[in-house]
Amino acid sequence: MRERFEMVGIRQMPKEEISSKEKWYHGKPVFAAAVLTIVIIGCLFCNLIMTKDPAYLDLENCNVPPCREFLFGTDTMGRDIFSMIWYGGRISLFIGIVATLISTVVAIIFGAVSGSAPKWADTLLMRLTDLLISVPGLLVIILLQAILGKASVLSLSFVIGITSWIAVAKVVRTEVLRLRGSEYVIASKCMGGGFFHVLWKHLTPNFISSIMFMIVMNIRSAIIAESTLSFMGIGLPVGVISWGSMLSLAEQALLTNAWWMIVIPGVFMLVTLLCITSIGNYMRKKVSRRQSNL
Amino acid sequence: MSKEILLDVQHLSHIFPLTKKAALKAVDDVSFEIRRGEIFGLVGESGCGKSTVARCIMNVYKPQSGRILYKGIDVCDAKEFGKNKRMLQTTRQMIFQDSDSSLNQRMKVCDIIAEPMKIQHMMPKRGSLRAEAEFQMYYVGLDAEYLDKYPGELSGGQRQRVAIARALAMEPELLVADEPIASLDVSIQAQIVNLFKHLQKEHGFSFLFIAHDLAMVAFLCDRVGVMYRGKLVEIAPTKELFADPRHHYTKALLSAIPVPDPRKERARRLIEFREEDFLCDGELIQEAPEHFVLGRRKKG
Amino acid sequence: MKNSFVQLIYFGKKFLFFLASVFLLSVAVFYISRLAPGDPLVSYYGDRVEKMSPEERGWVEEKLGLNDPIFVQYIRWLENAFHGDFGISYKYKMDVAEVIGARIGNTLILGGIGFLLIFGLALLLGVLCAWYEDRMLDRIICGIGTVTSCIPEFWLSLVLILIFAVNLKWLPSSGAYAIGEADRLGSRILHLILPMTVVVMGHLWYYAYMIRNKILEEVRADYVLLAKSKGLKKQSVMMRHCLRNVIPSYLSIMAISVPHILGGTYIVETVFSYPGIGTLSYESARYKDYNLLMLLCILSGIVVIFCNMAAQIINEKINPRMKSDAVTVPAEVTKV
Repeated sequence: MRERFEMVGIRQMPKEEISSKEKWYHGKPVFAAAVLTIVIIGCLFCNLIMTKDPAYLDLENCNVPPCREFLFGTDTMGRDIFSMIWYGGRISLFIGIVATLISTVVAIIFGAVSGSAPKWADTLLMRLTDLLISVPGLLVIILLQAILGKASVLSLSFVIGITSWIAVAKVVRTEVLRLRGSEYVIASKCMGGGFFHVLWKHLTPNFISSIMFMIVMNIRSAIIAESTLSFMGIGLPVGVISWGSMLSLAEQALLTNAWWMIVIPGVFMLVTLLCITSIGNYMRKKVSRRQSNL
Repeated sequence: MSKEILLDVQHLSHIFPLTKKAALKAVDDVSFEIRRGEIFGLVGESGCGKSTVARCIMNVYKPQSGRILYKGIDVCDAKEFGKNKRMLQTTRQMIFQDSDSSLNQRMKVCDIIAEPMKIQHMMPKRGSLRAEAEFQMYYVGLDAEYLDKYPGELSGGQRQRVAIARALAMEPELLVADEPIASLDVSIQAQIVNLFKHLQKEHGFSFLFIAHDLAMVAFLCDRVGVMYRGKLVEIAPTKELFADPRHHYTKALLSAIPVPDPRKERARRLIEFREEDFLCDGELIQEAPEHFVLGRRKKG
Repeated sequence: MKNSFVQLIYFGKKFLFFLASVFLLSVAVFYISRLAPGDPLVSYYGDRVEKMSPEERGWVEEKLGLNDPIFVQYIRWLENAFHGDFGISYKYKMDVAEVIGARIGNTLILGGIGFLLIFGLALLLGVLCAWYEDRMLDRIICGIGTVTSCIPEFWLSLVLILIFAVNLKWLPSSGAYAIGEADRLGSRILHLILPMTVVVMGHLWYYAYMIRNKILEEVRADYVLLAKSKGLKKQSVMMRHCLRNVIPSYLSIMAISVPHILGGTYIVETVFSYPGIGTLSYESARYKDYNLLMLLCILSGIVVIFCNMAAQIINEKINPRMKSDAVTVPAEVTKV
């Protein structure tokens, strides 16, 4: 075999070692990632950190400002805020991730179906999304939650996920429209690859980078949504500890000027969200840089 | 070469709707057949419908009318296609013009070659899918070191070899190559055409080779069909076609081949390319054994 | 002549689509709201519902027309709606239109002025950032933007109340005006400051950032190089060329963002107990005040569909290739 063919016209060029002074972490959100990791680990292993039982109602110590025993003070029901933050973070992060998973799966399937469907079906599906956007999100969530019954962690994740996929789905659709004429997709179809094979093996790897930052931002939005809904009394009840349900006691806190009940959980949440955002922004920059390099 | 007909295209027509009123007749009443073990070349200028024919044969497009019989099965019929789906998807393979876009940039070479086997859940003969991929790579003249590379890291010729390896992995009986050498350098083109010739001898598959480079077709093919504006204007064995072209368009096309001898080249007379001369209706008429030309049948 | 006819058909199509959307929307909301469990009688009679005998209940439901199958109810509703009668609110026992009419002004003031402020300030900040690209001012503004984009609106409201109302006692914490001072402009403005701050803060930075990036995209285009090489000053390049190219797409983005800003005011209104449409729709959805919910959804739906269409028309004017392609929502606007 080898003797029959001779490579012509290829001259081996000496490889130049590119010595870069930039450190590996240059321009990467290392600090944000580190803080986020600490928060996540702290929430996962909250049993080791918590100084008190977060669910215990210490009625003798209601509304205690931060002190040595209660690092971040206690709330109006006498629960230790320091312990609640770590314990509640688990549920908030869990909802953020599960809701995003749900919305991403729905978005990818919907976008891919719409993008690979014939034109009339595509138009129909897109009109449907326009219609879905036109109902105020808050009302949809209230009604959906009412249909599902009493709010639990899973049902709330579902409701948040099912109402936040449209933006991603539209991007997926445009990407699929761009990719579906590619010859490797046609080739795969000729070989007998089904819809999900093509979607999973060929389309998703090629568009995932352009929706990745939206997915990360969706985690952020889902956490914000959870806290907002719980605060308004539509989400998790006070008994289920999350960052949102902790803040739902804020009305009482305002009356007694108990700033720590509002500020501390909020700042904690804010720091987490900031870390997620800066990671998301980094991803977006990477994608747009690659596109501008083309 | 046996006389058994593997692929029989009968009165194939395909129309692309452009707007509500206008439509493009890409392929217009094309009929030809490919015998088992034969290399059939399809030539014509760009946009004459060669690729559309190939894609109709591979079920990428659904033709407006006409039949495509592969081993006697009408592949355009959804019912018959469904019945023989697996056989059709394994024994017919396609190679595309642009290896850059016909290979997924995000898959490794070994995954690309193994993809058809994976889809069809075939048991690899040589133990693992990777070993199978390696064998096919060797077969088309690539080293095993490329197995874990991405298509972006390979040159155009190497990529096209990967695409060939992917097609051959299924041991096809019909290979359709849609301008497989058009996007390559001339030196690489020669390598790939040689490779095709060699592989065809080894495997004995039937080969539909689409090109606009007449020299390559003359070198590689047993029989040639010439297409012009969606019509098949002439079919003949290669030697006969080049020696004795009958249709005006074929004559014009052949006269445009540059001759590698400067003295002869200077003396060469180009046939004027006048479109009105190229008769585009009528039917294929047999003018010599195996030689068909598009034209009106003489009355009487 | 022919051109105007084409335009007429174009807008006619848009209008038909608009009507169809509103119709589908009303059907969907009607069905979903009735599928959701919950007792509308609670909002009508309050706690007395529990003491009602089954006969009384039946009689009341008959009177309110809640016994019929849903589609019969819908057709009845549609028929009345065509005559301008959207039914009565169960809670306020008044004509729904009146209930909304009394409050819509407040939301329009909050949302409308907030929208204009966001629109103007974002443009200003965006231009400033683009002008001082990668310098101190740009970095500070972008930094603030990233941080504020992470702050949930309700939490920002709480903190502002905590600082300015509870501790400093400068500003009132709830309502649209002090009791008995409904007509005093000063009182209204005082009550508007905090909610307005939240509404503006929540969205301003994102749009400023978007403007900045769009302008910078233009700055890097070749025609700017040409303009510069002709000797135009930076200022006139920026104002006359870049900004002018950015404005139309900015307009269309602002049009799509109307629902998001509207959704933001809903939350702000609930936190500040500001008597607007937001609190009203929150109540109506929670307590199954069907008629009120219907009209509110349709009103906001009309606004949203209309704005989407406006955005689409603007986009088609800018870029005729985008015709019939759906407008994409700005990627990361939080939706609640």
